[in-house]
Amino acid sequence: MHRYRFILTRPLQFLPVVLGVSLITFVLVRLIPGDPARVLLGARATPTAIANIRAQYGLDEPIWLQYLYFLRNLAHGEMGTSIVFRIDVLDLIVTRIEPTVALVLASVLLSVLIAVPLAALAARNRGRPVDHLVRIVSTFGIGFPPFWLGLMLILFLAVQVPLFPVSGYGTSVGEKLAHLVLPALTVALSLSTVLLRSLRAAMIEGLKSDVATAARARGMPEGVVFWRHVLPNAVAPTINLLAVNVGWLIGSTVVVESVFALPGMGQLLVRAIFSRDYMVVQAIAMVFACATVLVNLAADIATVAVDPRVKL
Amino acid sequence: MKRHLKKAGLAAFAALLSLSASHAAFAAGVLTIGRNEDSTTFDPIKSAQNVDNWVFSNVFDVLVRVDRSGSKLVPGLAESWTISEDGLTYTFKLRDATFSDGSPVTAEDAAFSLLRIRDDKGSLWSDSFKIVDTATAADPKTLVVKLKSKSVPFLAMMALPNVSVLPKKAVEADPDGFAQKPVGSGAFSVAEWRRGDRIILKKNPRYWDAGHVSLDGVEWIVIPDDNTRMLNVQTGQIDAAITVPFSRVSELKKDPNLVVEMDPSTREDHLLINHEHGALAKKEVREALDLAIDKKAIVDAATFGIGEVAYSYIPKGALYHYAQNLQRPYDPAKAREMLKAAGASDLTLKYIVNAGKETDEQIAVLIQQQLAQAGVKVDLQKVDPSQSWDMLVNGDYDISVMYWTNDILDPDQKTTFVLGHDTNLNYMTRYKNEEVKALVEAARLETDPAKREAMYVQLQKMAKGDVNWIDLYYSPYVNVTRKNIEGFYQNPLGRFFLEDTVKN
Repeated sequence: MHRYRFILTRPLQFLPVVLGVSLITFVLVRLIPGDPARVLLGARATPTAIANIRAQYGLDEPIWLQYLYFLRNLAHGEMGTSIVFRIDVLDLIVTRIEPTVALVLASVLLSVLIAVPLAALAARNRGRPVDHLVRIVSTFGIGFPPFWLGLMLILFLAVQVPLFPVSGYGTSVGEKLAHLVLPALTVALSLSTVLLRSLRAAMIEGLKSDVATAARARGMPEGVVFWRHVLPNAVAPTINLLAVNVGWLIGSTVVVESVFALPGMGQLLVRAIFSRDYMVVQAIAMVFACATVLVNLAADIATVAVDPRVKL
Repeated sequence: MKRHLKKAGLAAFAALLSLSASHAAFAAGVLTIGRNEDSTTFDPIKSAQNVDNWVFSNVFDVLVRVDRSGSKLVPGLAESWTISEDGLTYTFKLRDATFSDGSPVTAEDAAFSLLRIRDDKGSLWSDSFKIVDTATAADPKTLVVKLKSKSVPFLAMMALPNVSVLPKKAVEADPDGFAQKPVGSGAFSVAEWRRGDRIILKKNPRYWDAGHVSLDGVEWIVIPDDNTRMLNVQTGQIDAAITVPFSRVSELKKDPNLVVEMDPSTREDHLLINHEHGALAKKEVREALDLAIDKKAIVDAATFGIGEVAYSYIPKGALYHYAQNLQRPYDPAKAREMLKAAGASDLTLKYIVNAGKETDEQIAVLIQQQLAQAGVKVDLQKVDPSQSWDMLVNGDYDISVMYWTNDILDPDQKTTFVLGHDTNLNYMTRYKNEEVKALVEAARLETDPAKREAMYVQLQKMAKGDVNWIDLYYSPYVNVTRKNIEGFYQNPLGRFFLEDTVKN
C-alpha cells in the first residue's frame, strides 16, 4: 500500500502552488492597462461615478492590501463579487463548470478513440505507406488553429450536412452530447496528433519487446500479441501525456467555447478579461490551476494503478 | 471485427445524437435571437450597457417611451403628463397596469424607482438624476416630481430603460434576487436565465397592451462569434441574429430565406483630436485635417457602403439634426497649403487604434494613407479598447476614432458631453470655446421647441467651424432575420419593439 503514500503527501504541495497562482494572476490582471470601473460605466462615465465604483470594490486601496483582502476572503471560501455581473463570483462560475468539464472529457475521449486505432495501424505497418500516411495526416492536425478548424467543422457537419447543431449547449443529456460532438472533435483533432506520435513509438517498442517475441515464439497470433502485450504497455505513457497536456487542453477550451457558444468557464474568462472583471479572472484562473494540479495527481494514481513497476 | 463493430456503433450514436438535436425544435411563436453577449443583471440601475437595455425594455416599462421613429416621446406607463409653468414640477398620470406578479403599478412604485436610481449606492446613474428634488405619490395613480432646477431634457431622461418602474415591494424584499429574476410590467416576463447561454422570456398576459403582443415568448441566445451567429440564422437554428458585420451584408442579402434589416441608429463615428497638443490647438490645422480626410472613401471601404458620410455631431435622424451643416470637401492639396501657412508642414500625429475592431483598424490605415497625401505623418499605436480609453482621458494621444450612440432622445446629453465643457474634457478632446459652453447651458433651459432647435443648429455650426472633432460616418443597426419573421426592428435609440414582432 506504501506505493500510494504520495496521495497523502501530495496535497501538502498544493498550498504553495495555489498561493503562487493566486499571487501571479492577482498581480498580472491588475498590470494590464484599463480600468474595470470605466468599462462598466461606458462612455458617459464621470470621474465621481468612477471613484464610487472603485471604492465599492476596494480598487482604490494599495495593491498589496487588496491582495491581503483577497487571501482573507479566500480563507473564508469567498472569491468576491463580479464587477460586471454584480453577483458572487462563485455563484457565477458554478453553472459554467459543467460545460467546460464535459468538453474536456469529451475531447479526451475522442482523442483516444482517434489516436489509439491510428497508432496501432501505423505501428503494425511500420515503414509502409499506411504508416507514412498516418504520420503526414497527423501533422496537419497540429497545424490548424482551433477557431478555424471549429468553423470548418460547423460548415461541413452542421451546415452542408446537418448532422450536428451549429452551436450552443442544450438542457437534456442527449442535447448536450449532440452539442459537444463538434467542439470536442475540434480539440481532439489537435490533441490526438500529440497522442498518436507517442503511442506509435510506445507500440513499436512494445512489438519489439522480449515479451512480444516470447509470445510469438509460443505461437500466439500477432493480433493477440498486440492486444495482450503491446497495447497495455502503451496506456501508462498515454495517461501521462494527457496529464501534461491538460493545461493546453483547458487553454483550448477558451477559444473553442467562444466559437461554439458553449456557456462554459472559458467563454466567461474571455469576457471577464475584456471587461477587466478582476474578481472573475482571478477565480477562474484559480479553478483552472487547481484542476491542473488535481488532474496530474489523478494521472499519477492511475499510472501507479496500471503499471505495478512504477513507484512515486 | 471488434473494430468494425465499434465504428458501426459510433455511426449509430452520431445518427441518434443528430436526431435528438433536430427534435429540439422551437415552440411555435417563440422568437429566438442570437447576440454576442449575455446580459449582466436585471437590476436596471446597475447597468449602462446596451446588452442589458435591449432586454430591460422587453421586461420592464417606463413612464414615457420613445416612439419607433426615435423623434418623439409617447405614453408608456404614464397616460399623460403636465409640466408646470416654471418647468420644475412634472405630474404624471399613470394608466391601469399590473406587474407580472399581479400587483398593480402605483405612483408609489414609480416614485420609489426614480428615487432609487438617484440614491442607491449601486446605481450607475446617480449623477444623471441628481436634478430630481422630490418624487411623491399624490394618489395611487398620480406621480409628482419636483426638480431642483429647470431641465428641458428631463422628460427624455424618463424614457431611459434604467429608470423603468419597478415593484417597490419585490425589490425591497430581495434586491439581489430581483436582479436575477425580476418582476416587471413589460410585454414579456423572465421565465429562466441560463447564464452564458440564454434568457428565456415568456409573454406576460398581464401586460397592459397584451392584446397586441403576438409572440408567445422570446429567447435571447448568446453566440459570441460573428461567423457562428450568422451560420445559426442561415441554417434556421435561430430566427434572428443581431450585430451583423458590415462585411457579411451583401452575402446574407443574397440568401432567399433571410431578410437583412437596416434600421437607422444614432451611431456616429468620429475622429477625436487632442486640442492641447502643439499645432492641433490651431483651428486652421484641424481644418486642414478635415480637408485631408476622404470620408466617402472610408464609408465605401470600411463600411462596405452601408454607412453614410457624417457632417454634424447630432446624427442624421436624431432630434434637431442640421442637414445643411458645412461639409468640407476632400482637398489634400489645399490641406497641405493650410498646414504650411500654419507652420505645421512637418506634422507627426500619434493615432490610438482600438485593436481587434476590424472596422477601426481599416479606418486607421485609410486615414494614415490619406493624411500622408497632405504631408502629415501618422504613427499608429494599436491598444486594447479599455486601455485606449485611459489614454484618451489622460490626453496621451493626438487623434483617435471613437463612436457615440444616444441613449436619450434629447440632444442635450451628447451636447453636454461633447461641447458642454463638463466633467470629461469635452469627450477627451480638450476643446474650449466659452461661447459654445454658454449656448449649451442656455439650450438646456429653453422650453420653446423652435427657439431650441435654432440654438442646436447654431451649436452644430459652431462645432463644425471650430473642428471640435472630425465627423466621419453614420451607420445603421444591421440585423438579419428569417423570412417568416415580421416587424423585427429597433428604433434609433436601440429599443427592440418585440411586442410588434410576428413569427409566421
